[in-house]
Amino acid sequence: MIGMSTRHILLGLLATGPSHGYDLKRRHDERFPQARPLAYGQVYTTLQRLVRDGLAEVDGTGSDGGPERTAYRTTDEGTHELARWAGEIAPPAPFVANEIFAKVVVAILSGGDPARYLSAQRAAHMERMRELTAVKAARGADLATVLSADYALNHLDADLRWMNTTAARLTTLTAEVDAA
Amino acid sequence: MTSLRADLRLAWDLTRGSDRGEWWRVTLTASGAALATGFALAAVALAALRGQYNVPVAAGLLNQPGTRSGVIAGLLLLLVPVLGFLGQCARIGAVHRDRRLAGLRLAGAAPWQVRRIAALETGLAGLLGSAVATVFCVLLLLRLWDKPTALAWAGIALVAVAVPLLGAAVSALALRRVVASPLGWVRRVAPRTGRGPGLLFLAGLLLVGVVALLALATESPAASNRPGNGLPLTVVGVVLAGGAGAVWLSGAMAEVTGRVLAARARSAATLIAAQRLRADPWAAARTHAAVLLVTVVGTGFLGIRQVMGDVVRTQRFSERADYYLTGLDLTGAAIALAFAIVLSGLAVGTAESLATRRRGLAAQVAAGVPRAVLGRALLLETALPLAPAVLLAGLGGTAIGTWYAWLGHHPVPWVMALAPCAVYAACLLAAATSLPLLGRTARPGELRYA
Amino acid sequence: MSRPVPLLTAGGLTKAHGRTPALRGASVVLHAGEILAVTGASGSGKSTLLHCLAGIVRPDAGSVTYDGRRLEDLPEKRLSELRRTEFGVVFQFGQLIPELTVLDNAALPLLLAGTGRAEARARAGEWLERFGVRGQENLRPGELSGGQAQRAALARALVTGPRVVFADEPTGALDSLAGEQVMTALVHTARESGTAVLLITHDAQVAAYADREVQLRDGAVVALGVTA
Repeated sequence: MIGMSTRHILLGLLATGPSHGYDLKRRHDERFPQARPLAYGQVYTTLQRLVRDGLAEVDGTGSDGGPERTAYRTTDEGTHELARWAGEIAPPAPFVANEIFAKVVVAILSGGDPARYLSAQRAAHMERMRELTAVKAARGADLATVLSADYALNHLDADLRWMNTTAARLTTLTAEVDAA
Repeated sequence: MTSLRADLRLAWDLTRGSDRGEWWRVTLTASGAALATGFALAAVALAALRGQYNVPVAAGLLNQPGTRSGVIAGLLLLLVPVLGFLGQCARIGAVHRDRRLAGLRLAGAAPWQVRRIAALETGLAGLLGSAVATVFCVLLLLRLWDKPTALAWAGIALVAVAVPLLGAAVSALALRRVVASPLGWVRRVAPRTGRGPGLLFLAGLLLVGVVALLALATESPAASNRPGNGLPLTVVGVVLAGGAGAVWLSGAMAEVTGRVLAARARSAATLIAAQRLRADPWAAARTHAAVLLVTVVGTGFLGIRQVMGDVVRTQRFSERADYYLTGLDLTGAAIALAFAIVLSGLAVGTAESLATRRRGLAAQVAAGVPRAVLGRALLLETALPLAPAVLLAGLGGTAIGTWYAWLGHHPVPWVMALAPCAVYAACLLAAATSLPLLGRTARPGELRYA
Repeated sequence: MSRPVPLLTAGGLTKAHGRTPALRGASVVLHAGEILAVTGASGSGKSTLLHCLAGIVRPDAGSVTYDGRRLEDLPEKRLSELRRTEFGVVFQFGQLIPELTVLDNAALPLLLAGTGRAEARARAGEWLERFGVRGQENLRPGELSGGQAQRAALARALVTGPRVVFADEPTGALDSLAGEQVMTALVHTARESGTAVLLITHDAQVAAYADREVQLRDGAVVALGVTA
């Protein structure tokens, strides 16, 4: 989930009503099961920035017998900003950071074994896909889990297909890279 | 004219590049056309004779106009099983051909173009058959007849041209559904009713009947006032009605048998056979109609022959027994020939049904369905609807024989009851000729292709 | 997890179609109850491998052992019996008999095993229900959607309680959602009944349903992810 706006996701979670920082983290991790879990510290830093920019405000402070907790709520400006972001088109991958391709080219340049690398990378991808598929195909998996797993699966599958065609064309690629 | 040449070229390329099934179709269609041409030419040559004439074959049977008209009618009736046979041949590789023609439509060919290409394909096969048959018939004729009349030549030319033309026309007609939409029958979801070919068969039967009647009516005006001349006419009429009835009866039998057995089948083979009959009873009807026709005629003839043989030998005809017996034998030979053609049609039909389903059959074998079960289902498909139909046809024929014996106050010739049994057994044997094909058809290799 | 028990073992399989070699010394082991994916490009010999393992074709060389029995020693009659009692097969399409109803199709293996028609139909009905094809039993295969037909084919393959199911591109003719339903149904049922599955596919997302993957290239098995 590179480049995803944590600000806007927290604003979205706040849209259902005032919430504590810890609550927000838990709800985020539940709702986006295949995404990287949010760090607690990251939640607080982001909330403070939202307050600074006038998109959220402190709703109150309570302790409920435990440690002190600050609750936050969204402002009108925050609601407006959230609507703008939700409707905005995500740019279709303007610069793809293709680490795998870079490694293949470097392997060729440095006289390494790109075929073996691709094969190992492919196995690692497959292993991850099997894990995601097991999560998705488990009995009683809810639709949010299935869909987020599907998203990741499709991206991994795209990588995999690219690796398969690249592996089949390594000889030509090696000749081209070496000639340049 | 250039577009016709282009179509001809395309038809030729399509035939040349096609697989073994296509070549079987071409070969069998050509053989059928050759048979049809042969019978029609013989009939035409005889019809061209006028009055008393000395024909040096068949013990003088062809010398008089009266008996000659009977022979002509017999030759024309032989066209009926040939038509049935040709109908079966047209179905060889039908699925593949339909797909190919639909492909032509998808590639932008107009309906009439596709129809013309298909008609040319059939026409070429028919032309081949008719040309071969015509050449041999003419050679034979020149040996028997010093100087054939102009009428005979005109008739020969007409037949030689008409057979391939008719074949082309029928194939164009039969393809009307395939070419109607570009997708044609590329995707065949529901089983079709299959009444079309049945109707074609009936139409063909009617055509032959009308021609036969015309031939009889015009052939021998001198003899028309003689008593007993009505008999051939009656026979032709009865046979036509019998044929129409047989198509319907066979289809209805197949449908009922299929429905009843599908609900009660206890074994896999019976279940498969019954459901196939229920799904397309008219396929069975097409194949079996000609069988039933031959059964009626054959059984009846056997009875009549028995009675007449006695009469000829014992009574006042004895000095000309040879003449009459040759006539009877000739009729018997014609019926046997018709039966042989019908059996070939049946065998071709069974083989075709296997070839069409080869991928599905291979999948069944792969899933462990024993070949024996599939073979039994194949035989049951022929045996089940045919049993009651042949029984009824046999009864019909026996009735004719009995009636004839009763007219002449002779004992009923029960030997004719053997005819339906023999027909039934022969049909099962004909269907069984496809069993070795089942072994070769249901190969795992078929699983690899769509 | 207990130690995996080899159920089906193939060694050095070679098979040519005419002069075209399809397998050149492929070796593979299928353990009891596992789901194994066989992947590879078109023409890499995947289907031929399945045909050899399921005893549908005999390899030119090499050996297949199922549960201690060498398949090449069995006559065709015994192989056929093995296929219909202990194996189940699912192809891309076309395995259902078009003239039979969906219910009769699913009941066919039981009928062949000598089960009475009523009981066979009842048991087939239960399997169809498990695969979500309830209510369509009396239709013909041609009247089903592709996904429904494949689930009916799965019911037919599993109705005899086989120990191995061979699936050759079972989702090859389906869209991804229908394919997902077919695969989920297959995986759930196989896991519950402890049936081993040999799954042929060119699609990584389908292969990911398996426990393990074997990749074929030019008729032989490629070592996977070995960094040595």
